[in-house]
Amino acid sequence: MENLFQHILDRITELNPMHGKKLKKSVKSLGPDYFNKAEEFYQKYNRILFSSGKTIEFGIDCYLHMCNDMMFEQLRFMETGKYSNTSFDEVNKNVYDNPAVMEYHMNGLLMSEMLWHHHYKVYSFFKENFNHHLPSIARYLEIGGGHGLFTQEAVNDLPNAIIDVVDISKSSIELSKQFVSGGSVNYYLKDVYEYNPEVKYDFIVMGEVLEHVEDPVALLKKLHSLLNENGKAFITTPTNAPTIDHVYLFRNRKDVVDIIEKAGFEVYVESCIYAEDLPPETAEEMKITMMYAAFLKKK
Amino acid sequence: METPEILNQLQTIFRSVMDNEDIQLTDTTTAIDVEEWDSITHIQLIVAVEKFFKIKFNAAEIRAFKNVGELASTIKSKLA
Ligand SMILES: C[S@@+](CC[C@H](N)C(=O)[O-])C[C@H]1O[C@@H](n2cnc3c(N)ncnc32)[C@H](O)[C@@H]1O
Repeated sequence: MENLFQHILDRITELNPMHGKKLKKSVKSLGPDYFNKAEEFYQKYNRILFSSGKTIEFGIDCYLHMCNDMMFEQLRFMETGKYSNTSFDEVNKNVYDNPAVMEYHMNGLLMSEMLWHHHYKVYSFFKENFNHHLPSIARYLEIGGGHGLFTQEAVNDLPNAIIDVVDISKSSIELSKQFVSGGSVNYYLKDVYEYNPEVKYDFIVMGEVLEHVEDPVALLKKLHSLLNENGKAFITTPTNAPTIDHVYLFRNRKDVVDIIEKAGFEVYVESCIYAEDLPPETAEEMKITMMYAAFLKKK
Repeated sequence: METPEILNQLQTIFRSVMDNEDIQLTDTTTAIDVEEWDSITHIQLIVAVEKFFKIKFNAAEIRAFKNVGELASTIKSKLA
């Protein structure tokens, strides 16, 4: 297909005009570099789908399904000010360990990586800063790697490092195995709390996992224990992001930074990006998601 | 409440949420016809509709609305 990315935008608009309109508006402000990257990304994803007998239509379907879930969760969130889930075990049973849900949810999330400007910006922020760390990394770990977008960066940038991924969901690991190409990655199907390797890591990435647990301080302390004394970490977490698998509500940047510091870390580079381009009062009133991303070192 | 009355109310709600007094709704109006009707204003719209009619939609109902007519008939059945 000539321009797959444009086709995706058009098809989403056809199936869900409200959502398509918003996407088309929000990607307009991103430069030509973005469009090239997005095209490359979806071409790759399309090849992966093709090899398992699917087409991009499957990805679009998963994506819209995920967006519908999110819209409903947001509606209730605006009313109650709370996430609908409070228990990790419930989410594990209903989502991570439920292939019917996890498959569309993780494929939908992968699709969103280049469709949502805030996901794309976090990914660019990571790439840019991760580069400076490469010489010091012999052992890399990713916690909750999900679809494998960040893992692919590690594989590309660290040809000689050991690359480990721990994820509690079999569906996630399967998707990541398909998505990540070149290099070798060791996958551990485990709850990170039960992951106790003998050697520590120089760099740990944990994208969008903190909001999935009941006690994010405990999770960061676990990450702390897996990291070398001079090791660095990259974490991301959204605020005000009601989703079928989010448990812990961060309301703003301060909520996140407080928890990071409680766990014995210090932020040395950070980025905050709102998901929607709205006037501040509307963003506040609608409790619009903000993506928080940061590089951390031990205090 | 009868359907024309519901439609009329919806028109008032749409105009206020989208901040556009020119919006004219019919049964067959979709997001393609109303420029400001995107996924963000849609959420504001649903919130306003639920509040005004004192009803709650479930996830399946929200997913199913294809046009204003379907929204109106779901409202009608919920009020019955
Ligand atoms: C929202 S996805 C994040 C995917 C990717 N890292 C990103 O940033 O987009 C969260 C992932 O964390 C995994 N996960 C959640 N809780 C976990 C836990 N306690 N231990 C290991 N993995 C976990 C889920 O299975 C899922 O693959």
